[in-house]
Amino acid sequence: MAISRRNISIFVAGLVLGLLLVAQWNSPAVQPSAQGYGRDRMAVTTQRLEREQEELKETLARLREQLAEYQRSAAASTEMLEEINAALESQRIVAGLVALKGPGVEVILDDSSVQALPAGADLSAYIVHEYDLRDVVNLLWQASSEAIAINDERIVATTSIYCVGSTVMVNDTRLSPPYRIQALGDPVLQEGLLRDPAYLGELKERVKLYGIQFKVVKMGEMTLPAYRGSFLTRYAKAG
Amino acid sequence: MGVRSARLLLTVVCLVLGVLLVAQFRTQRRITAALLAASSTDQALIISNLVESNAELREEVGALRSQLSRYQEAEGQEVLQTLVNELNRIKIVNGLVEVSGPGVEVRIDGRISVLDMQDMVNELRNTGAEAMAVNGQRLIVSSVIASDDMGMIVNGVRISEPYIFQAIGHQETMAGALTRKGGVIALLEARYGGLDITVSKREKIVLPIYRGSFEFRYATAVK
Repeated sequence: MAISRRNISIFVAGLVLGLLLVAQWNSPAVQPSAQGYGRDRMAVTTQRLEREQEELKETLARLREQLAEYQRSAAASTEMLEEINAALESQRIVAGLVALKGPGVEVILDDSSVQALPAGADLSAYIVHEYDLRDVVNLLWQASSEAIAINDERIVATTSIYCVGSTVMVNDTRLSPPYRIQALGDPVLQEGLLRDPAYLGELKERVKLYGIQFKVVKMGEMTLPAYRGSFLTRYAKAG
Repeated sequence: MGVRSARLLLTVVCLVLGVLLVAQFRTQRRITAALLAASSTDQALIISNLVESNAELREEVGALRSQLSRYQEAEGQEVLQTLVNELNRIKIVNGLVEVSGPGVEVRIDGRISVLDMQDMVNELRNTGAEAMAVNGQRLIVSSVIASDDMGMIVNGVRISEPYIFQAIGHQETMAGALTRKGGVIALLEARYGGLDITVSKREKIVLPIYRGSFEFRYATAVK
């Protein structure tokens, strides 16, 4: 009895000693304050630019709506205008400039749910990368999807999915996990391809080994927002 | 084993346990920190991308405003012309008209994986491609390069080596981004030893029309 009580006190003492040792070793590294300041300013700049981007996107969306309105009313006047206007409307839908609704799938991708990583673990195995999103999007197009959005950013002809460090960018907009990929189309076909072992091998491996979260939900109806970015054609000319 | 050595062993075990516990905490914190705080270089890149994208947004806002005022002033024939211009512009984006302009050509002599082909498309879009094609197939938003046992398929058409990507856009920017150190070409050449990739600037590239169909069977416009 005496020994076991002593053992407990040794246990506690050892634990505390260990904690203290590491706390010591882990004592705050001195951060160069200038660098910290620079970082803060950059964060502020980023936020300001993002607010500006948001405002510009809203302006653009409003202008597009006004123009469409004009074109509709102008088109009412003659038969030829009507025809061109109908073509314009359908081209807008194809380009991603119109919000769409319909059935499809929703794919949720998120960083690993593992709470504690083994020491020396490769962190990159536990997070969702931009290429994971790219592979899922490509597979969804392959499954005859008709429209796709990631976290409400519509994928259009000029969209690239890339990363800066560990930040994923789509349409030059910062996204953060969880990533919600919505795709309109035939839910059975889409789900079939997503679950097919022949595709997304590397991602599925990381789901199994490292706890990356990958969920596929068939949807009866959902709405995808319109693209709000720019479509500049500075260099490409018709013909 | 004597009581003494057992106690010593216990002490060591507890010590290690304590160290491990804290180490665990640190790892967890580090992963969060890595995710939250982009490095200064990353932040600088994000900022420069935002600046550029905002400039583009502003340019388009300007273009739409002047279009709008033309509508407000114009009548009859002019309205028609404005509508036709807008229609053509969107058709370029959708791949439904033949387009020409300056740009780059990327020629890959050899076989690369289908995922690397898809990444090349993404990279070209990232460098500012306004329109592109691979082996004469116009790439539209939903075009995806797929593969089977026999090779690559794009827009339902089989393509074979060499793979030639053509993209219209700013020549210097595109060629520079593609061929930079650690860029996509360097990565591919490192991954596939002996793979020959050439990037050439072109004064005029002509891209064919997309021949597939757009069929919306599931999606409808939100009114």
